[in-house]
Amino acid sequence: MQKTGKLAVTAALVVAFAGAVGWSMTRHQDKERVAIQQEEVQNVSAMTGYVALDVEPFFGDERVKKILRDQKVPVAAVRMGSRDMAGKVATGAKADFYFPSGVLAGNQIADEAKKANVTVSQTTPFTSPMVVASWKPIAKILEANGMAKALGDRVYSLDMEKLAAVMLAKKRWRDLKGSDAYPVQRSVLVATTDVRKSNSAAMYMALISNALNGDVVTDRTAADATAEKVADLFKRQGFQEAFVNGSFDDYLQIGMGKAPMVFIYEYQMVMSAQAKKAIQPDMVLMYPSPTIVNKFVLTATTGRGKALAEVLSSNAELQKIAVEYGLRVQSPGLFMEGVKANGLAVQEQIQQVIDPPSFELMGEMVDVVTREMLK
Amino acid sequence: MKTLFRGLLLCAALVAAAGCSKREDVAAVPTAPAKVAAAPFVVLATSDLRDVQPLEQMAVQATGVNVRFRFGGTMESTEAVLTGHANAHAAWFANAKYLLSDQQGQSRVKLQEKIMLSPIVVGVSESAAKSLGWDRPDVAAKVSWRTIAAAAATGKLFYGMSNPATSNQGFMSLMGVVSAASDKAEALTAEDVDRGAIAQFLKGYKLVGDNSAYLTEKFIEGQGPRLNAYVNYESLLLSLNASGKLREKLVLVYPHEGVATADYPLMLLDDARRDDYKKVAAWMQGKEAQTWLARQTLRRPVNAEVAASVVDVLPSPGLQIELPFSPDRKLADGLVESYLNEFRTPIASTFVLDVSGSMGRDGRLGQLVKAVSYISGADGSMTGRIAKLTSRERVWMMSFSNEPNAAVMFEVPAGKARSKGVEAVADSDAKLKTMDGVREYAEGLRADGNTALYDSIFVALQNMAEERKKNPGYQYSVVGFTDGENNRGRDFEAFKRDYAQLPEAVRAIPVFMVLFGEGKEKELKSLISVTGGKIFDARTTPLYSVFKDIRAYQ
Repeated sequence: MQKTGKLAVTAALVVAFAGAVGWSMTRHQDKERVAIQQEEVQNVSAMTGYVALDVEPFFGDERVKKILRDQKVPVAAVRMGSRDMAGKVATGAKADFYFPSGVLAGNQIADEAKKANVTVSQTTPFTSPMVVASWKPIAKILEANGMAKALGDRVYSLDMEKLAAVMLAKKRWRDLKGSDAYPVQRSVLVATTDVRKSNSAAMYMALISNALNGDVVTDRTAADATAEKVADLFKRQGFQEAFVNGSFDDYLQIGMGKAPMVFIYEYQMVMSAQAKKAIQPDMVLMYPSPTIVNKFVLTATTGRGKALAEVLSSNAELQKIAVEYGLRVQSPGLFMEGVKANGLAVQEQIQQVIDPPSFELMGEMVDVVTREMLK
Repeated sequence: MKTLFRGLLLCAALVAAAGCSKREDVAAVPTAPAKVAAAPFVVLATSDLRDVQPLEQMAVQATGVNVRFRFGGTMESTEAVLTGHANAHAAWFANAKYLLSDQQGQSRVKLQEKIMLSPIVVGVSESAAKSLGWDRPDVAAKVSWRTIAAAAATGKLFYGMSNPATSNQGFMSLMGVVSAASDKAEALTAEDVDRGAIAQFLKGYKLVGDNSAYLTEKFIEGQGPRLNAYVNYESLLLSLNASGKLREKLVLVYPHEGVATADYPLMLLDDARRDDYKKVAAWMQGKEAQTWLARQTLRRPVNAEVAASVVDVLPSPGLQIELPFSPDRKLADGLVESYLNEFRTPIASTFVLDVSGSMGRDGRLGQLVKAVSYISGADGSMTGRIAKLTSRERVWMMSFSNEPNAAVMFEVPAGKARSKGVEAVADSDAKLKTMDGVREYAEGLRADGNTALYDSIFVALQNMAEERKKNPGYQYSVVGFTDGENNRGRDFEAFKRDYAQLPEAVRAIPVFMVLFGEGKEKELKSLISVTGGKIFDARTTPLYSVFKDIRAYQ
C-alpha cells in the first residue's frame, strides 16, 4: 500500500513536470504550425469547406491533408449539420464548397445558391447505401418468415413491404415462425436514431413510406397518410438516441439482446470493421429492397472548390483512404478490395435504388411524425 | 511501470535540455508547472464511478489533457447538467437516458461516447439461490423480474438496493418489475403500470441507501437471515464475490428479458473543449484504459478487441435481452413519486436538532431552518421534490441543548389511493399543512445553552423504539445534528453502556449524524460505530443539501 502511495506521488510529480514541459513543447509546436501555415498562405491558402459529420474524419486524416496540399487544393474543413448548410449559403458565407450528406440537402444548397446568384457545380465523389445491421439468428428468422433472402454469406436482402407489414401488425419476435433462437416478447422493430434530429432516421422514414405507399411519395396527402403510420414505428421503439452512433454503438457493444436490427449507413459498419475490428462472425448486413443510396454531394461554389472535386474523383490514393472510412467511391473495385481485407461481407452491386421524396414532403412527414410522437 | 516513469523522466529531461538551449532561464523550468499546467478539463462523474479515480492520472499522462474528475450524486448531477449549472466540460454518468429523453437535456450534450458496460443484476446468497432453484443455470436463465417479485412477496428474498427515487440501479429495477408484469411488447406508459407487482417486489426491500459503499458495508454486515440478496451492477457484485468479505458468495441472476445495462456515456458539455474531449474519449475507448477498467473494476469493455482479451475475468454472458427504456417522462416521474408516497415502507424518524448557544453564531440557526424548510417542501427542484416529506410519513422534531426538549410529532396524511397506473400528483392541502407546521417549528427554534448530545440521541432512540412497538409497519431512523461536542448529560461511555441494555429491535434503528460547525468527526464516528448508521459532513457541503442526501437513506 505504502509503496503504491509513493509510486503515485512520484507519478504525480512526473506528470506535473512533464505537463510543464509538454506545454512548452506544445507552444513550440504551435509556433512551428503557425510557420507552416504561413508558408502555405504564401503558396496556396487553404480553401474553406463546410462538411457533414460523416466526412469530417476523412478531411481530418493527415494523409488526406498532405495529398490535398501536394495537389494544391488544401482544405480547412468546418463540420456542419447538412440541413444547416443552405442557411449558411443564404447568409452569403464565403465558402469554396459544401459537402452535405444526402441529395436533399445538396438540392437545397443549390436552390439557395441560385437565389444568391452563385453558380455551383455538383459531383458525388462518395456514396453509402442505407442498410440494416443485424445478426445471423435474426436474419434466419426473417428468412423463415419470408421477409429476408440470403444473397451470400452474411449478406441478405430485406423485403421492406413485408417487414413494414409485420412491424405495423405489432408482431412480437416470439410470434414468428422458427423464432427459437430469439423467443422474445418484444415487438419486431428496427432501431433508428431520432427522426427529429438525424438524417439516417429520415431515410428510414422514406423507405417505409415507399413500402406503404407502393411507390415514392410525391404528394402531400400520401405523405401525411403514410407518416402517421410510420410514426408508430418510431414511437414504439421507446428511447431513441439522437446521435448517429447511438443505436449502432449498442449493436456493436451490447449485441443482439439490445439491438437485433439497427438502421445505419453502410459506411458505419465498414469503418467499424476496419478501424475498430469490432466485427463478430454472426454479424450480418441486410440491404433493404428497395433502398436509398445516400450521396455525399460536393457542391462547389468557386473554381477552387471545383478543382477539389476533380482531385477527389480522380486521385486513387484519396479514394483508397475514403474506403477506409467506409465510403463507396466511384471505382467499385477499390471499395470491394478494401472491404474484403477485413472479413466483412457486403453487397457489391446495390439493386433497386429509389430516391427519397422531395425536401418539402420529407419536412412535412417529419412534422407529422414529431406531432404523433408527442401524443 | 518503473520503466515507464524512467522513460518519461528521461524524455522530460531531454526536452528540458533542448528547451534550455533556446531559453536562457534554466531555473524557471521546475517552478513552471503550477503556472503553466493546461487548463483543467473537468468531468462531472456520478459517485458510483469513484473507483475509476486512478484513470484520471493515466488519462493526463496519455493524452496531455488535464483531466479532473469531480464526483456528484446521480440526481443532483443530472439536475446540474439539465439546468446548465454543471460547471464542467464533460459529464460521465452510468446512464444518460433519463437526461437525453429530455429536450433540454439533449441540447446540453454535444457529443457522447460510451465507455464501458455493466448490467444491473440480482446477486443472491448461494444458500438462498439453492433453495429457490436459481443455482441451476437452466432455471436461472428463465428467472424474470416477475419471478423475483414473487420471491420477494412470499418472503423468500430480502434484498438491499439503492433508492429507486435517487439512483439508476433502484429505478431501473423497478422499471424491470413493471415491465415484466405488463407483458407489453414495447415501451411502457404510466397507465400500464401494474401496482400489485410493485408492492410485491418492495416487500423484500430491506436495506435502503443511496450509495454503493454504504450499501455494500451494510450488506456484508447483514448477509444471512436478514438479507439474502443484493441488487447492483454486475461489476460491483463480481468484485464483492472476489473480495472474500462475504459470508457466502452471491449467485448472479440476470433477469430474463429485463437486463438494464449501464453504458457509461462520456458526454461533452462545453463545445469549446471538443478537441480535448475527443482525445480523452478516444483514449478511454483504447486498449490501455479499457483493459484497466475491465481488470480493475470488472466493467465490460466497449472495445471488442479488449473484450476478447479479458474473457478470463469477464466471460461472455450469452444472449441477454435488454429492458427497453421508455422515454415517457410521465412514467418515470409517476414511478418515482408513487414509490415515495404510496409503495415504499413509510418513513418514521426523529430529527435531533442541536440548538446550543453556538448555533446562534455565523448564521448557523438560519442554515438549519433553511435545511428543515427544504425537506418540508420549500425546494421545487428535481432533488427537492424527491427529498421532501412523503405521504404517510411521521416525523418527530426534537431540539436539544442542556437537555432534550419534548419531541413534536408531525404526520403527513396518505394520499388518495389509485387503482391503476402511476401519476405524479400535486401535494394535497393536508400534506401542505403538515409541511407548513414543520417549517413553523424550525422557524421557532432559538439558540441557547450547552450540548447534551448523547442524552438526546438516547431519548430519540427510545422514542422510536416505543413507536415501533405500536406501529411496526414503518422504516425507523434517527437523524442527529450537532455543531459541537457533547458537554452535558451522559458521556460516551455511559451512552455505550445504556445503549447495550436496549432491546435488540432498537439497535436495528440506524442513526444518521450530521457533522457541522465544530462537531467532532471522531466523536460521531464512535457514536455510529455503536448505533450503526452513517455520518454526513456538512462542514464543506451546504447543510440543506446534506439533509436532502440523508433522505435517500431513510
